[in-house]
Amino acid sequence: MQQKVALPSVDLLLELGVLLVRVTLRPFRVSDVDDFMLWAGDEQVTRTIRWKTITSKKEALTFIKEVCIPHLFCRSICIDDRSIGFVLVIRWSGGDRHKADIGYGVASKYWGQGIATKAVKMVISEVFKDFPDLLRLQAFTVVENIASQRVLEKAGFTREGLLRKYTFLKGQLKDSVIYSLSSTDSNGAVDDEV
Amino acid sequence: MEANGKQGQEGSPELSLRPLDLSDIDDFMVWATDDKVSRFCSWDTFNSKEAGIDYIKNIIIPHPWFKAICLNNKAIGAISVSANNGNDRCRGELGYLLASKYWGKGIATRAVKMVASTIFNEQPHLERLEALVDVENGGSQRVLEKVGFHREGVLRKFFIQKGRCRDVVIYSLLSTDPQP
Repeated sequence: MQQKVALPSVDLLLELGVLLVRVTLRPFRVSDVDDFMLWAGDEQVTRTIRWKTITSKKEALTFIKEVCIPHLFCRSICIDDRSIGFVLVIRWSGGDRHKADIGYGVASKYWGQGIATKAVKMVISEVFKDFPDLLRLQAFTVVENIASQRVLEKAGFTREGLLRKYTFLKGQLKDSVIYSLSSTDSNGAVDDEV
Repeated sequence: MEANGKQGQEGSPELSLRPLDLSDIDDFMVWATDDKVSRFCSWDTFNSKEAGIDYIKNIIIPHPWFKAICLNNKAIGAISVSANNGNDRCRGELGYLLASKYWGKGIATRAVKMVASTIFNEQPHLERLEALVDVENGGSQRVLEKVGFHREGVLRKFFIQKGRCRDVVIYSLLSTDPQP
């Protein structure tokens, strides 16, 4: 009869700081629903993103099936293959398809560990490789979201400016900080003639 | 809605804004065929009156806010404010051009001031008027600065224009900023 091996608790792993090694990105699955609800149902996480706070398993399933899975580029941020957040890239269309926006969120329990930064860095290399006509990856944060600004700065984005009264987020008019990463920041030289 | 500009000096011609229509086609073609004017615009210079008529009919007339800049009621340029939807409805984007013969006389500055001083009353949902100017378009940057727009930063590789990727300077004027 096999003996069950006791794995170290997540708390212990946090203390040991080994979590970053186990961060992976993958497409969302319907089976992520319970883990998804833990962070997508948390106001702390959803306050600064466009996603509505999830309030039921049914809403979570619908969101995963209708938004996350069909999305051109939406990944679950995972630890030990369990979903603890998301990162997505939205490409612009037509004459603006050289641009894309990046967005992300991590369960509050995992804040302050460099996880979002790691996930963003992983996405950067993938997205410039998969979309060779991408020249500009941009991100918007509300002015008071210092933690998110640090993620972008650590991931190599350039802060371009503060845009006053730029957009409504959850019904409130916000000042936004705009960041960008250009294809020439992240790769070698890329010709800007298209 | 017509807006009349103050006369800058004794005897200087009256500047006004009014809708542009098909009867302005010949004046439209003066700037639409000028490379100096189209240089920083998204459109290529027009090469036929038919193309000009189509543009006025299909783009200008249906536009939510597009005016001819007029000197003694003759169209010498254009100014527009584009609307956004949903979460972005607080922003309008300003665009303007002037026939090159009229450059360097402060006319664009006067026209932008006229719009900036009335648009927030006309559109109460508008909180922010913004403008995106090519980094090499110093003349246009100066117009906005003279009117009191805030320079917020440079957005790198923001537009593709005529096959080249361009950096732009982003400016804004808020409804709560001092009136120009």
